[in-house]
Amino acid sequence: MVEIYNFVVGPLAWVGWGIFVVGIIYKLIYMYSLARAKDYSSLDYMSLPFSLRSIFVWSIPFYATNWKRNPAMTVATFLFHICLIAVPVFLLAHVVLWQKFFGITWATLPDQAADYMTLAVIAACVFFGVRRATDLRARYVTSYKDWLILILVASPFVTGFLAYHQIFNYKFMIILHIVSGLAWLALIPFTRLSHMFLGLFTRAYAGSEFGKVRHVKDW
Amino acid sequence: MSKKPMILILAAAAVLLFLLPAFSQEDIKQLADPAFGQAQRPAAVFDHDAHNEKAAIDGCLPCHHQGVEEGRFVEGDPVKCADCHEVKTAEGTPLMLAYHKQCEDCHLEKKKGPVTCGECHKRP
Ligand code: HEC
Ligand code: HEC
Ligand code: HEC
Ligand code: HEC
Repeated sequence: MVEIYNFVVGPLAWVGWGIFVVGIIYKLIYMYSLARAKDYSSLDYMSLPFSLRSIFVWSIPFYATNWKRNPAMTVATFLFHICLIAVPVFLLAHVVLWQKFFGITWATLPDQAADYMTLAVIAACVFFGVRRATDLRARYVTSYKDWLILILVASPFVTGFLAYHQIFNYKFMIILHIVSGLAWLALIPFTRLSHMFLGLFTRAYAGSEFGKVRHVKDW
Repeated sequence: MSKKPMILILAAAAVLLFLLPAFSQEDIKQLADPAFGQAQRPAAVFDHDAHNEKAAIDGCLPCHHQGVEEGRFVEGDPVKCADCHEVKTAEGTPLMLAYHKQCEDCHLEKKKGPVTCGECHKRP
């Protein structure tokens, strides 16, 4: 157990985080040069105030028209994204490890709260899955890749939940949890999960074009 | 019969009774430090004497110390960790890290013993 643990929180963790960081930087540079090559003029029109305005406005639930169309979907989307980021970043058990390995700490969620938020993420994944399977329009644009991504996103939360509650074999589950979390990180740059970073730029682009060029709102 | 042996026996019993708390580590089967207040995790399994026997630790120093000199622990009385390590502190080792470092570092070094949260903080 000690050897396996040492491996997954040692070399494997460095590889997972390394691919994540290098991949994101590569992806951003790639997208930037693509934009330069294909649509040079659009870069001139990028505007920081209009970009920030668009990102801000779209961050308010039920404000943009699109957020009003399907209330259930909007609630699930916001809840999902907030918990998806907040739980891994502010989880006590993760900060305990940051403190031990690098001597740095920050605020943590009570375990009880993180537990409910984990359930919220899993519930949202189930909701998205059911919608993909039943909603005709969603089904039409769904490929097997979307299912793989949904499973990839849910797995660290499911294994984390089972490990925390020590359901099934704990040692197996905690290793599975660490491995699935690292796989999650490493795959972010190369899958649709990259919208975690690129989405900001998509929003900034739309905000700039609509605000600075067309002088209309983009929400 | 004189009363002397009776008094001696009573005195011996009294001494034993006072001495007992000094050996209270025999009763330690798990650690749940009240200094943390409301605990987030279940108590850590730690059968004091059985652990040290099984792990073949002789002496008390790997754990009980009163400070660090030149990167090494200086032997100290076996008192509560919380007497010196505060839960929240800017200087020195905070209490939770003190426990985790002491316990896990040795397990990692010996490649034996628990290293993940749930192995120590076992749910009943
Ligand atoms: C593997 C580490 C370890 C070793 C080795 C060890 N102890 Fe302990 N001992 C502890 C821990 C941890 C506590 C709990 C401290 C606390 O509650 O703050 C403790 C508690 C005690 C206590 C009770 C202290 C109190 O005030 O509640 C006594 C007495 C004690 N140990 C004696 C000894 C003696 C004597 C030895 C050597 C023969 C020894 N211990 C070796 C880890 C160790
Ligand atoms: C009499 C005071 C005292 C007691 C009791 C005490 N410590 Fe310490 N400990 C210190 C001092 C002083 C240091 C050095 C400064 C620092 O790191 O906080 C230290 C350092 C440490 C360190 C860091 C060592 C390093 O090399 O960085 C650990 C881990 C630790 N203590 C664990 C424990 C544990 C676990 C207990 C209870 C079994 C305990 N301490 C009880 C005074 C004490
Ligand atoms: C100086 C080294 C050392 C320190 C310090 C130490 N341990 Fe251990 N521990 C061991 C070793 C070695 C084993 C493996 C014993 C075996 O299975 O042969 C072990 C095993 C254990 C086990 C499993 C016992 C079993 O019956 O299998 C637990 C639980 C444990 N340690 C808890 C703790 C806790 C809690 C602390 C901190 C208070 C601690 N240990 C500090 C060396 C240490
Ligand atoms: C080698 C055994 C060991 C391991 C592994 C371990 N702990 Fe601990 N932990 C302890 C001991 C001993 C204490 C002090 C006694 C207590 O209060 O539980 C402690 C205290 C705590 C506390 C403060 C008390 C409380 O319950 O609020 C938290 C929180 C905690 N540990 C979380 C974790 C997390 C999260 C992990 C995994 C990242 C972890 N521990 C891994 C032994 C361990």
